[in-house]
Amino acid sequence: MSLDLISFIVLGIITLVSGYLVVASANLMHAALFLGLSFVGVAGIYLVLGAEFLAAAQILIYVGAITTLIVFGIMVSNLQDLKAGGRGVWARVVRNLASFRRGLVPLVAAAGFAILMLVIYRQSLWPAEAPPASGSNLATVGRLLFTEYVVPFEIASVILLAAVLGAVALSRRDDQPPAGSTGQAAPAAERKEGR
Amino acid sequence: MVPLPYVLGLAALLFSLGLYGVLTQRNAVRILMAIELMLNSVNLNLVGFARYLEPDRPGGQLFAIFVMTVAAAEVAVALAIILVIAHRRDDVDIDKINLLKW
Repeated sequence: MSLDLISFIVLGIITLVSGYLVVASANLMHAALFLGLSFVGVAGIYLVLGAEFLAAAQILIYVGAITTLIVFGIMVSNLQDLKAGGRGVWARVVRNLASFRRGLVPLVAAAGFAILMLVIYRQSLWPAEAPPASGSNLATVGRLLFTEYVVPFEIASVILLAAVLGAVALSRRDDQPPAGSTGQAAPAAERKEGR
Repeated sequence: MVPLPYVLGLAALLFSLGLYGVLTQRNAVRILMAIELMLNSVNLNLVGFARYLEPDRPGGQLFAIFVMTVAAAEVAVALAIILVIAHRRDDVDIDKINLLKW
């Protein structure tokens, strides 16, 4: 068993266990932190697969920005996790078994998808081991990004600009509550101010 | 070297975890996290195929970069929406958010 395979298996177990805890953990903040750990595991797998630039981008964007943003959002908005019932995901599954939307159907859908894909992967023919890439990954990715994929690159920058504008416009705090919605908006605003 | 089906199998398991989370959770923030898990598993697939099918021209890695960009934009906008809803209603249960305007 090569070193690559061992590190892949270890990183895969880390990723899967923390991914499970994202769904199953009772505390919302714990779920967000486990999400960060899962992203770190995926970044390690990128390194094993020879995608160094992507691993660095994963650490910077996912672990550094997205997880921080989610944690920040949880803390700012003071969200309490909904009482989902039961401590873990299996207690919830058993309790909700009778309900259509949260019981058997999602479980069958998710497990069925996983089993179907694993069976297909097992029976398919796969390409033989490819030789490792020649040259540095960073140079290759950079050259492709600015020659062949330059149009998607520019579109991505426009998307980011639109997202920034949208996020700022949405989260801007209006001093004057909009007319017509004062009845429901005012108590919540007062509660925030009094805190 | 890691066989390609291992990578794809890990991605499938991660995707089904995220799928289960999206289908069953009621907290909007947690649904967002599960969606991030699913996006990550798709990126794993792309990188795995890029490693095996065209190691010298890794187009899959570039697609993974674009997926990351869109995911970052999506999280920013979605969290802003969730914060607005939480400020107005003190609740992010998606079963109770069924009006476009209130």
